[in-house]
Amino acid sequence: MLVRRCLAGDAVAWEEIVQKYNRRIYNICYRFAGSGEDAQDLTQEVFIKMYRTLKTYDVERGAFMTWVTTITRNLLVDHFRKSKQDRVTDSMDTAPSEHEDAMPLSEQIPDKGAPPDAHVQSRETGETVHRALQKLSPELREAVILRDLQDMDYREIAAVLKVPEGTVKSRINRGRAELARLLQRTYRQVM
Amino acid sequence: MPGESKNGMQCAEFDLLLSEVLDETLSGDKLEKFQAHGRVCPVCGPLLAEAKEGRHWLKSLQEVEPPANLVHNILVATTGVDTVRLRQPASAQPQISRAERMREWAGTLVSPVWAVARQPRFAMSFGMAFFSLSLALSMAGVKLSDVQHVDLRPSAVKRTYYETSGRVVKYYENIRFVYEIESRVREFKRATTPAEPGPAPEERKERKNNNNTSGQPEQKQERNYSQGGTQPVLASAPNDPPVVTVTTYRRFV
Repeated sequence: MLVRRCLAGDAVAWEEIVQKYNRRIYNICYRFAGSGEDAQDLTQEVFIKMYRTLKTYDVERGAFMTWVTTITRNLLVDHFRKSKQDRVTDSMDTAPSEHEDAMPLSEQIPDKGAPPDAHVQSRETGETVHRALQKLSPELREAVILRDLQDMDYREIAAVLKVPEGTVKSRINRGRAELARLLQRTYRQVM
Repeated sequence: MPGESKNGMQCAEFDLLLSEVLDETLSGDKLEKFQAHGRVCPVCGPLLAEAKEGRHWLKSLQEVEPPANLVHNILVATTGVDTVRLRQPASAQPQISRAERMREWAGTLVSPVWAVARQPRFAMSFGMAFFSLSLALSMAGVKLSDVQHVDLRPSAVKRTYYETSGRVVKYYENIRFVYEIESRVREFKRATTPAEPGPAPEERKERKNNNNTSGQPEQKQERNYSQGGTQPVLASAPNDPPVVTVTTYRRFV
């Protein structure tokens, strides 16, 4: 309904779409890109692309949320390709790159000096996990973000990533395990 | 080993069911086989533990708050306008007239000067100056309402000058006429009023001594202007004087 109103030229309907989805898109961008500034720019780009391609949205092909997330994911992939992050990934799938810092991730992540369960809700721990998330490969990162942070179901994620559900589940499992391994190393160094 | 089968389940199948186990949607015989495989498989067992821990970490991440101006920036970048304003009723939108804009502009110019003038020392000086000026104007009979109507054109100024000078001449002539009338009336009164009896000789003498400080010879004050030079004068005489009759001729003009 909002999309129809928006296509009919209703500026208020477009504002409602922006109000409804800006938080979700910003969070996806922030968790994937890693920085607030990049997330803000990417969120704006997503909405600009949405605004230009809104007439291409087909209700029968999927939910509007899936369409929006697909646009976001495609822009994030483009952004990742343009940036240098593709050379510094530390993923279970890929061998450590030659551009990887000599320091292990456990040393790159700041020392928090506390067991994980004690301050799991603290801001510092959140930043630590966020930094560890940036070390995952983009395929694993996007899978766990959509599943564990955006609570999308496997079918929707498969539609967004354009891969089979089995691949989605496998990526999610490996992404979770890889993240746990990174953080274990971190806190093992600390303790 | 990914392809290895342990307790009736291959590692690939274990990997597929891992998500469902963590989502707590798997049950029954499949769940038992899954747990049995995880206990004996050196690869899948740690994977289950790590995936569970990683999920726990990810779930601990809280949603971040987008910047406050994000929506505004998006709306400006897409539609070119902030449509939040469209929601507001037209009456709520302030419409600034040209006069208000001019007033604001003048305010920006005057406000620094006004800030200085509001200092107590300057305020007192300005107050005294205003009081003095207003007092002087009111004493001179000048009203501000009259000043507003002053015509400063050269012809009007010239006309005002001649009118004012004519008024002054007329006033002077009137005063002169009044003084002349007054002096005539005074003369007439003196001519018609009889001479008042003079004071006693001793009293007159005292007054003479007290008042005359000029050193000049005494003047006769008791002249009777009603007597003409042709009137008979009776001079004082000794007790038995010879009677002399003087005849004068009155002249009639």
